[in-house]
Amino acid sequence: MALAKTLSAAEPGAHSAAAQPVIVANNLTIGYSLHRERKLLTALKNITLTVNKGEFVVLVGPSGCGKTTFINAIAGIVQPWEGTVEVNGQPVTGPGPDRAMVFQDYALMPWRTVESNIRMPFELKNLGLSKQEMDERVHRYLKLVDLNGFEKSFPYELSGGMKQRVGIARALVTEPDILLADEPFAAIDAMTREAMQSELERFVTQTRQTVVFITHSIDEAVMLGDRVVVISYRPGQIKEIVPVNLPRPRFDYDVKALPEYGELREHIWRLVKDEALQAARGGK
Amino acid sequence: MSVQSSSATPPAESGRYTDAQWSFAEFWRRWGSWFITIINLTCFFILWELFARSGAISPLFLPTASGMFETLYNGLTTTAPPGSVISGSILDHLGYSMMTLFTGLAIACVIGIPAGLLMGGNRAVETILSPYIWALASLPRIALVPLFILFMGFTVKMQITIIVLSAVFPIIINAWAGVKTTEKSLLSAARVFGAGKWDLYRKVVFPYTLPFIISGIQQGIGRGLIGVVIAEIFGGSRGLGYLIQRAADTFNSSLMYAVLMLLVIVSLSLINFTRWLEAYVAPWRRLDRV
Repeated sequence: MALAKTLSAAEPGAHSAAAQPVIVANNLTIGYSLHRERKLLTALKNITLTVNKGEFVVLVGPSGCGKTTFINAIAGIVQPWEGTVEVNGQPVTGPGPDRAMVFQDYALMPWRTVESNIRMPFELKNLGLSKQEMDERVHRYLKLVDLNGFEKSFPYELSGGMKQRVGIARALVTEPDILLADEPFAAIDAMTREAMQSELERFVTQTRQTVVFITHSIDEAVMLGDRVVVISYRPGQIKEIVPVNLPRPRFDYDVKALPEYGELREHIWRLVKDEALQAARGGK
Repeated sequence: MSVQSSSATPPAESGRYTDAQWSFAEFWRRWGSWFITIINLTCFFILWELFARSGAISPLFLPTASGMFETLYNGLTTTAPPGSVISGSILDHLGYSMMTLFTGLAIACVIGIPAGLLMGGNRAVETILSPYIWALASLPRIALVPLFILFMGFTVKMQITIIVLSAVFPIIINAWAGVKTTEKSLLSAARVFGAGKWDLYRKVVFPYTLPFIISGIQQGIGRGLIGVVIAEIFGGSRGLGYLIQRAADTFNSSLMYAVLMLLVIVSLSLINFTRWLEAYVAPWRRLDRV
């Protein structure tokens, strides 16, 4: 069913004129071995999903449904048990400069300044850029996320929203094709979160990046996604893929006032509700 | 300095932070505890002085506070004439003890830091070494002193060995714990951005562990100081421990108390220095704790 939905759903999104697959997950099954209990836990089962260039795909599902595992598999820090993930036609064997990630807890190095944190990907991976090009990029992205003036600050001196801006700049600085985001705004207060969502929409519209974004918030999913992938609880399977055909930039159009917005929200909530209840009860 | 500009637009920094008005309450909040400490200590020494002068306890056991300070002052401002075998000056013995202490600490760091990092980073090394580390760390080090005297005699080597053994375990255990508790999200962030194993150690694990290592050294200093004094009391002809022993043998109570006082001062300064160092290299941890 999931596969059929993927194929039948028209590929929406303002900037995906020619549908060109960037991420292809084929029958992906991933799990972990729990050493203490001598058991194998299947986190994700038979995930088949194609993400096209420039598309913004949001994954929603209850805690523990394997969303993070999926995104880690795309990033290349988790290896699948079965099936494959391909990025730009190449099977993923490890992390690469074509992918970058934004983390829920920011994951900024506390001993590095804002500038040095943003520069870190360059130190870890040689992209063949000159020192000038790297400096130029660091400052361009510092400016994009509105952090000029805070170059020399340390993360502990910043608010949550500012820390995540650093996280976003660090992810964008290598200009990856794919931006992976693991609940990036979950720990940020509601007002700042809304501002950050609209800015993220602005950034990726500018950079034309492909985004895979995890969230627990249905509103966030509908506001940001071109498609919303609903994942079921343990083992995570695709329950339904919901296309979101709302005009962009959504924060300017005030799409929340549109009747379609309410319908989509309602529809996704009905899909997620049972799963969330199950997760809240702690599984079967 | 132009009047117009400052009146039209206030300087940027004056918007957010303004100087608090001077008030006694504010002054007291900031300096009150210092003030109380000074009064407190002064009262303590005055009471001591009065008690000692009253003659309730023989001056062989309790000197006057003034006598102790006088001995301390004289001992620290004089050095032995060149060529003398045993110096009566506290300064010479202090220098000797500090030299052995720092030599021992340096050796403990050179052994302890890599050992702790390796144990944290490699399961095989951890499994093999941990029973020995825990066994030796839980053994009271004094129990080993007779053994080392047997091995090495009353030498500097023996003293340094005891200091190293006293200080090395807290350093190993802290470095080990630092590596083990390195935040997983920092590691996965570095991996996503392309860090290899060596980069992970160099750019994530080590900086994360550094404050742990410093607090290990801080504990090591405390233990090492005990080690120095014990080693010198047991067997030695120089150092603060020896001076305590000698002061006791000659019923020179003011010298004994002067050395004890000096040990308190030395220990507190070293520990405060490492505390400052820890806060300096890892300001984010200082904020976490508040």
